[in-house]
Amino acid sequence: MDSPAANAAFAKQIGITFPLLSDMNRKMLKTYGILKGYDVQNETYEWALRANIVVDKQGIIQFVEEGDSAVDPNTALTMCTTLHKKDAAK
Amino acid sequence: MKQPIVLGLLVAVALSAVPGTPHVKKSQVAKMTLKVGDTAPDFTLLSDQWKTVKLSDYRGRKNVFLAVYVLAFTGG
Repeated sequence: MDSPAANAAFAKQIGITFPLLSDMNRKMLKTYGILKGYDVQNETYEWALRANIVVDKQGIIQFVEEGDSAVDPNTALTMCTTLHKKDAAK
Repeated sequence: MKQPIVLGLLVAVALSAVPGTPHVKKSQVAKMTLKVGDTAPDFTLLSDQWKTVKLSDYRGRKNVFLAVYVLAFTGG
């Protein structure tokens, strides 16, 4: 998990304008069930799976993908557009 | 001529630290516990601007796209 300072440098480098969050104590990752643990020579190492999650304005999960399929964000982005259109139609 | 020697030493150290096949086993396979229709658990995390960002701050205001992106090679 990268620190806020590392994320800030990365955001500046590639021009990201949305917040890059750091889960330094891995609390969120554990709560969401996307932390993976491996035992290597009597030590356990943990790292997260890639995941895309879309949460609507009511706080309800509308889309979830994890692992290899989550490398491409386009399906999740389509869901965001759909939600946005639904909101606009109200 | 110093550089190849240093590299050679590093390889030797690395090899001696891993005798034979390293013992690697999966201790737990992560399984996303959440599914579509569930309420997203709230969290508070630090942003790259050192500000706390709370998921529930967006409730009633914006849809949220959470991208958990490991191995992004941020340099951190």
